[in-house]
Amino acid sequence: MRQDEVYGQLAQVSDPELDQPLTELGFIGGVRVEGGTVTVHFRLPTFWCAANFAFLMSADIRERVSELPWVERVEVRLQDHCFDQEINDGVNGGKTFAETFPELATGNLEELRATFRAKAFLFRQECLLRSVLELGWSEEAILDVRVGDLPVILLYGQGKALAERYLAVLQERGLASDATAPAFVHPDGRPVAAAEFRAHLEHARRTRFSMEFNAAFCRGLLKTRYCETEEIRALDRSAGARDKHPRLRK
Amino acid sequence: MFKTADGAEIFIIDGHTHLWDASPENCLNKYGTGFIDCFHGYQKFLSPPEYVWERPVFCKYGPEKYVKDVFVKGYVDVGIFQPTYLKEFYKTGFNTTEQNAYLKERYPDRFILNGSWDPRDGEAGLDYLTSLVERYAIKGVKLYTAEWKGSSRGWKLTDPWATRYLEKCQQLGVKNIHVHKGPTIWPLSKDAFEVHDVDEAATSFTELNFIVEHCGLPRLEDYCWIAAQESNVYGGLAVVMPFIHSRPRYFAEVMANLLKWVGADKLLFASDYAIWEPKWIVDKFMAFQMPQDLKEEFGVDLTLEVKRKILGENAARLYGIDIAQHKKKLANDAIAKAA
Repeated sequence: MRQDEVYGQLAQVSDPELDQPLTELGFIGGVRVEGGTVTVHFRLPTFWCAANFAFLMSADIRERVSELPWVERVEVRLQDHCFDQEINDGVNGGKTFAETFPELATGNLEELRATFRAKAFLFRQECLLRSVLELGWSEEAILDVRVGDLPVILLYGQGKALAERYLAVLQERGLASDATAPAFVHPDGRPVAAAEFRAHLEHARRTRFSMEFNAAFCRGLLKTRYCETEEIRALDRSAGARDKHPRLRK
Repeated sequence: MFKTADGAEIFIIDGHTHLWDASPENCLNKYGTGFIDCFHGYQKFLSPPEYVWERPVFCKYGPEKYVKDVFVKGYVDVGIFQPTYLKEFYKTGFNTTEQNAYLKERYPDRFILNGSWDPRDGEAGLDYLTSLVERYAIKGVKLYTAEWKGSSRGWKLTDPWATRYLEKCQQLGVKNIHVHKGPTIWPLSKDAFEVHDVDEAATSFTELNFIVEHCGLPRLEDYCWIAAQESNVYGGLAVVMPFIHSRPRYFAEVMANLLKWVGADKLLFASDYAIWEPKWIVDKFMAFQMPQDLKEEFGVDLTLEVKRKILGENAARLYGIDIAQHKKKLANDAIAKAA
């Protein structure tokens, strides 16, 4: 069914700051499909959420949903945001960020995205490192792991998923092509040396913690703002193609 | 004053409080409404239900309620006023030095009144800063780098005019620079919460203290790194504290990081009143114990001595308050009698 296909695409869009899919964060307020036209309602935890991230997510929604072969037109509707009108006009009109905010932006958002992809890299790496450390692996053994070992090092519990997520971000950065290369590296691909392992781990841990904390904050504020329960969203999804604008209770 | 079960007295300075007016009559536009609704969302999200206010009260609560909530119910001995002007959103401003001065004039020993400046005001703003010092003898300023002005949507501490204002602060003895990072800073294409400009300013102005409000959240990792390098960078705990109720584990983890990287001598308690009330935060903080695993992992603890520093001693040092003498001054004032 077309709506499920749209949600499948939306699950591939992440909040750049949190490295979590919009569908899991509750940021998708509803989807309407009418023939080849898709309208996606997009909402954020506060009126003031950073406009640059809001724009990135809106543009990513449009791009991912447009990939479906039957889609002719995508309209993203960011709502209840200090720049909602500007962002909606910009994204739906196919403009860049700098074109949308000519007075306020000094350029586009590649650098911002890159900064947060590096943080996401450390976040995913730290989650995996923590699992192997909990299993009692030595630092030497950890630094000896090769890219090619990642699919098989942890095959049980959550470990497998953590290794897959880390491998995916290595691939995204072009660091996974050589199966014999060290698996645990800095975001720029430099191997982590034994002498810096502890400091690197602490840095990665602070990054992971900060992102987790922000995600908890965003989820909590979103829930407070829209007073919406999981059940309502589940009902909406099964109800099919009608408009599912979120219930805003102020 | 908070008294422990054993009778120990804890002197409390609330490092971040406001007396704001976001009533519909004072709101200029949707941004004013959006601003107060966002604050109200914070209150609803993190407060125990009995401490969630109705929206009209939250918009404008008035000086009597402030005194009751903060000093009478809330254990606080001295409150620091941190103004946020927002004159593009509110007719008379949201929470200006002049608005806050109303209470300072009535209860002079109960308040530390801070000022504010905006480097985009140029020369006229430097004169305003001087007048604040002459009129109110301010020793600190709260800077809101995300304030809108005309077509501008914010500024940085490293802007040339900001440097001139910091020089002026140094000359005038305004030593405590409270920095608040908000989410709409210019340029919009950069990370709005980035704290690196604080690092540069702190290196250039070693005689000034930089108190980063809500500890640089949501960039805690960058903030911890900077604070560990710079001896004059402090952390204001507004927004961090209320997590103690609904997310105690996150609170414990943030505190463990802050105690390790920033240090017990550089953290200042703050309720961010009226977003949250100090009463329940202080009660929970005094009862709080650092979980064993975090004590071991980070090598830190929240002992009574550490709590004393965070709740009052650190701010007293920054603002030149002698706690023993100040207690005597407050013992018989109108508020002490009402309590």
